[in-house]
Formats: sequence, structure tokens, C-alpha cells
Amino acid sequence: MPDLLRATQLTKSFGAVRALRGVSFDLRAGEVHALLGENGAGKSTLIKVITGAHAPDSGSLEVGGKTVNHFNPREAHRRGIACIYQQPALFPDLSVAENIALRLETPRAWRRVRSASRIARARELLTRIGADIEPRREVRYLSMPEQQLVEIACAIGSGARVVIMDEPTASLTQNEQHLLFAVVRDLRASGVGVIYISHRLEEIFALADRVTVLRDGESVGTNALDSMNESSLIAMMVGREVSHTFPTAEGAPGDVALSLHELGCSASGVHGVSLDVRAGEIVGLAGLVGAGRTELARVLFGLTPADRGEILLNGERVVVADPRTAIAHGVAYVPEDRRRHGVILEMPIAQNMSMAIHGLIFPGGWLRVAAELRLADEFIASLDIKAAGPGAPGASLSGGNQQKVSVARWLATKPRVLILDEPTQGVDVGAKSEIHRIIRQLAQDGLAVLMISSDLPEVLGMSDRIAVMRGGTITTLLDGKPDAHTVMAAALGKEAA
Amino acid sequence: MKKLWLRHEMILLVVLVLEILLFNAIGRRFLTADNVANIVRQSVEIGLLALVMTPVILTGGIDLSVGSLLGLCAVTFGMLWGELHWPPWVAATGAVGVGAMGGCVNAALITRLRLPPLIVTLGTFSLFRGLAEALTSGTKAYTNFPASFLALGNSFFLGVPVQAWVFVVVAVAVWLLVHRTTAGRAFRAIGFAPEGARFAGLPVERRIAQAYVLAGAVAGLAAVIFVSRVTEARANAGIGYELAAITAVVLGGTSIFGGVGSVHGTLLGVAAVAVLGNGLSRILSITAFSRELSGILTGALLIVALAAGTLLRRAPGAKGRGRSG
Repeated sequence: MPDLLRATQLTKSFGAVRALRGVSFDLRAGEVHALLGENGAGKSTLIKVITGAHAPDSGSLEVGGKTVNHFNPREAHRRGIACIYQQPALFPDLSVAENIALRLETPRAWRRVRSASRIARARELLTRIGADIEPRREVRYLSMPEQQLVEIACAIGSGARVVIMDEPTASLTQNEQHLLFAVVRDLRASGVGVIYISHRLEEIFALADRVTVLRDGESVGTNALDSMNESSLIAMMVGREVSHTFPTAEGAPGDVALSLHELGCSASGVHGVSLDVRAGEIVGLAGLVGAGRTELARVLFGLTPADRGEILLNGERVVVADPRTAIAHGVAYVPEDRRRHGVILEMPIAQNMSMAIHGLIFPGGWLRVAAELRLADEFIASLDIKAAGPGAPGASLSGGNQQKVSVARWLATKPRVLILDEPTQGVDVGAKSEIHRIIRQLAQDGLAVLMISSDLPEVLGMSDRIAVMRGGTITTLLDGKPDAHTVMAAALGKEAA
Repeated sequence: MKKLWLRHEMILLVVLVLEILLFNAIGRRFLTADNVANIVRQSVEIGLLALVMTPVILTGGIDLSVGSLLGLCAVTFGMLWGELHWPPWVAATGAVGVGAMGGCVNAALITRLRLPPLIVTLGTFSLFRGLAEALTSGTKAYTNFPASFLALGNSFFLGVPVQAWVFVVVAVAVWLLVHRTTAGRAFRAIGFAPEGARFAGLPVERRIAQAYVLAGAVAGLAAVIFVSRVTEARANAGIGYELAAITAVVLGGTSIFGGVGSVHGTLLGVAAVAVLGNGLSRILSITAFSRELSGILTGALLIVALAAGTLLRRAPGAKGRGRSG
């Protein structure tokens, strides 16, 4: 059987950056081919060449045995390539059937719209992938995974032979993931080739037949997954064996830095939270999505101020009415959504880093560019941030480096309490262990760290103690090193076996 | 950093120089001291509004009410002087105060009630003009101001029209505010990402409020200069000025979505529009027609300048053919 898709020695440069340096890649019919690599390894560029968004500088691309000469998205679509992005790109105010119709029908003016046939086809496609979604519902009432299923339905409806999935499970719950995996396996069984991009190794082992690892714009190799294990795969990605061990605490924690008594905020559903966090200690905040962890962080940072209970910082009762008072009291919050909240993407990283300390480094409100650059240079060096310079806009950095900029902004405030919300989400393996090391070092330096994470190994490995939230309050406090089962049981509200 | 040639300000500077060369070549008495003073006088009020519109637009907002507020302040000034017999310079302070209060109304509605700036200032656009008309029964005009006050709008100081000095002071102040202070930094951050600015602990509401209050206060100042220049205070002062000011700001390269822009760009935008209007009136003897043509050409200039900027910036990337999306 010929390959569905074959890329040979593709190169692509953006200015001085060589994003692809001769990458070859092939996709067979009826396989799931995982594409792996750290952020910035060239995955997105390769995908953009395949989907026609970028033309390569050299090299060739064959789809279904025919060489592609014109790189544009419509051409790629015509050749049967469909891409499902992390954030589905559907029209929220249109129905599912209308969204599918928009993708599949040739746009022509003054054509009668046949609603009944649109709905019938949408229903047929959705049934084919086992999705129980009413075609007449508006897309904005659908959950994220349901929207992804609609995207997949579009891909199948367009007769796509090559389906690209870019981190499809990033926002899915366990059950939703299983549903998605079943659909992917069906696709494979029907002879479709799936290019599957994910940072979650366990998914790749569960789903993929072969894996290609990219590093620094080059292909490190393509292997059948039967012949690989986790550590050999990680080694391929980073080019060195990464220790899976987490940095450990040395010495005993100090005094209680942050103390919460029956804290509540009716607006955000947080209630009755009591917790002590000591200086030098990392307290992991575990729980399911929607358990109220981010909401609690926002109460502590004054984004949704508390209306009940009290917050004590170093034994002193404080009122946190807004982020400014939180900062003044030494509370820092590295938010979950770094692209919307953590970093202002259009602004230079130096300006991002100084943003929370305007009052400190710009006395009288006058900008002092030299002081700002010095601050940025220090953090670029100490956190090992990969950027063209302090003037590089946030958008030009990879996810892990953006996260470091966000952390730098808050370290600049010299906080006593650091709240981290999903600090390594969407960050590649190498940067992840680096961020872990930084967090541990900060605790070692005397910060009280409250770390929200949905990554169970991360919570278990990093935390000195674990607080489990459920239904807007802390239900369980676990000392020492509990196992995954205990934490998960607590998050689900079940007695540990 | 973008290359100097690709910067919007550079394109605008070229346009401005071309305008001047063209009008000097074919116009009558264009580059004379008299006419230059004329251009300056006629553009100071709109220029002031454009200056303070810049921070507002940088925050991602808009202020449609400044022209109407100018009218309300002009009437207030006339009344304080004509009815209450305040000295002109005290009445001028009153007018600036009324302007600032008008700005406060906008700011309160936008930051407290979180209404969109476009809707709020569309409302106060009608409200302020309506108030000005009600106060003067729609027709009453205050005239016969003392010569010492009229000097502001019609005399020279060190060879330059007096109001130009006021303009220079405000321009320098606004430039410093936008380009050299943390407030200016915050305006941009808010314009790029209001939520992101809030998460960074910036005083988002306070900065937005400051931009609108400043716009209001300077509208009051522009009203005083306007009254002095035309020697009368009536309710129809400054009709359409808000759009002229927004045109100059956008022509100057400030993004209507906020975040991107500069005060020097706005100054070039003001100059390009002012020279165009005046130059046409010098070429065409029928002045009524030149007004209409000037409207058409200002619109064309705005669209062409922005399109040229976009195309030039796109050119190097477009070589690779692929355009995403």
C-alpha cells in the first residue's frame, strides 16, 4: 500500500530561525503516527506545511503519491487533509449541522439552503463516529470534547484521508479521552492515517503505532512504538536521559506564612477553606477540574475577594480586596492561562517582567528603561529563558519560556507566598523538569508555595503536603508522600481502599 | 524593532512632505507666514482633541463625546463670563473643570457600570450637545469678549500664533505621559489585554478613568481656544470635531483595537489632514467646493495610508507565498 503522505527533506526558515532543517516524514494508511518534540522542535511548522499554511523552502511533499506544488489550505483540503486543533474553530452561534455544512458545501451564492438535508447528513456523520450530539443544537452549548467530535465529523464528511490532531486531549476529562480514543481507533480501522500530536506519553503508548521525534528542526528518528519505552522515548526527545525524579526538599519548613480560616467567597463558590502554608513548603492543591482550586487562588489574589473568613499573612490578618493589595502583602499568582492572563503576548518580555512592580522600579511613575532591562537580563539568565533578547515580544517565545516570563514577573515582586496554577501545562518535557527545579529552589529560598496541578505525578512528586479540594472546599489534607490512589480517591470523594 | 522605513510614521511623513511640495508648487501663496499661521490656528483645537484621544484609543476605547463636550464647555465659558461676570481666565478654568466633569461621567459609566465606551460616549455625545443647546435656548451666542482674551486665538507670541504655544505644552505633556510613564505603559497593556493587565495587578479601572477625564479636561481647554479664535461662544462649537480627531489619531498609526500607537504619529496625522484641507482651499477658488473635496480626500488619505502601511509590512513575508488562515 502506498504511503498516504510522504515528506522528503523539508526545510523552512523564518528570518534567521531555521524551523525545519530537512525533515522527512511518512504516513501510512490505517496507522496512528505520533509526532513528538519539545516546544519549538518544529512540529507546528511541519503541520503548517502539510496543511498548506506555509510553503517549504526546499524539499518535497507527496500526498497520495502526487507531489504538491501549490501550498495553500484549500489545496490541502482538496487533497483530503484535515486538521483538528486544540481549540475547535467552530461558529458558536450556529448549529452543529450548519457548522458541518459550512465546511463541506461548496460556497456558492444564491443557492437554496436545505436545512433538512443538512441535519440529516450531520446526524449521519455524527452517528458514524459514535457521537451522541443533536445536530440542531447551537455549538456554544456543546462541551469542548463535543466540539472536537464535530470537527472530526467534518473531517470524515470531507472524505479526509489524513487527519491531524494537535493535542486533542488537553482539555478533556478521562471519560471524554476514552471516547476520543475510540473514535481515533475507528478512523484507523477505516484506513485513515492519523498524525497525533501530544505531550502525554501514556496516550501515545495507548494509541499510536509509530512515532517520529523532532528536535531542533530535525527528525531524530521514526520508530515503531512496540520497540520503545517511556524513558527511551524521552531520551529521544531531549537528546539526553532526563531524570524522572523530582527535586527533593532539604531541611524543615519555617513558620506559617499563609493561614486561611474558614475562608469563603459566595460569588465563586469557595467556602469554609482552612489551610496553613509554611515558608519553604510546597503545598499541592489537587482535585478534579471544577473543584474550586483556581477559584480559591483568585480569592487569595483578590480577583474575586473573599466575603467570609480570614486570611493571615505571617500571623497578621489582612484584607485582600484586589490584586494590588495582594501584591502589596506579598502574594503572587502565576495564572493558569498564560496566553491570556500570564503574559501580554504583544509586549516585550522586559515590559512583561516589570509589570507587577511598576511602583518599585519606576519611582514617581517615570519609566527607567535601563533598570527594566537590567531586571530582564537577570531573570533571562537566572531562569535560563530562551529569547532573542529582553525586547522580544512574549508571543515569540515557546510555551515553557512564556511560563518562565510569567514566573519572573512574580518573582520580581519578591513575594512571600507564591501561588502557581498549572505551572507546567502545555510545557514540553525538558522545560517541565526545569520549572520543577525552579519551584523547589524558590521554596528552598523561603517562599511558601501553593501549587495547583491536575498532573498527578507532578502533585505527588513536588508537594510536601497535598490538600485535596472538592466542591469548593478542602476536603482532605495529606501529609508525607501519599500514593496516587489515595489522592485520586479523595478528589473523587471516595474512601481510600 | 521594525525597520525605520516600514514604520507607519515614516509613510505619513513622506505623505506630509509630498502634500507640502505639491501645494507649494501649484497653490497660491501656500508657504507664506500668513498661511502657515492660518493652518496652525485652524488645527489647534482638533489637534488638542486628537492628542488626548490617543491614550483613550490606546486603552482600546473611544471617545465620541469630545466634540459635543467642546460645545458644552464653550457655552459654559460664555455664561460664566457673560452672565456671572467672571474674568475670562477664571471662566476658562471653569470651562476646563466642566470638561473634566464630563470626562468623569464617561469614566464612571465605563469603569463602574462596565458599559462599552462606544455606547457610553455615543450617549454623552448627544447629551452634552443637548445640554449646550438647552443652556443657550439653541440660539444665544456670547460675544464681545475683551481684546486681551481674543489675543489667545488671534495674536502672535514670538512670531507664532499664541494657541500654538498651548498646543506645544499639551503635546509635550501627553507625549511624556504616553511614552515615558507607567500610566502610558498601562494604557498599552490594557489595550492589548485588559484581563492580562488586571492579572498583572495594574490599576486598570483607574487608568481608563484617567484617560477619559484627561480627554474631557482638554476638550474644555480646546473650547476656550475655539471661543477666542472665532470670538463667540455658542452651542454649535466643535460639531464633528470628534471624528476629525479620531481620523487624525488613526491616520497617525494608532490601532483602533488599542495597544499600538504613538503621540508623534498623531501629530503627523493632525498635520497631514490640516495641510490637505488648507492646501485644497488655496488651489480651488470656489471655497464651498474645496470643503467637500477636502472631505473626500481626507477619507481617501486615511484609507490609502493605512492600506499602504499594511501592504508594505506584509511585503517581505508575502514572498514566501503562504498566508495562514
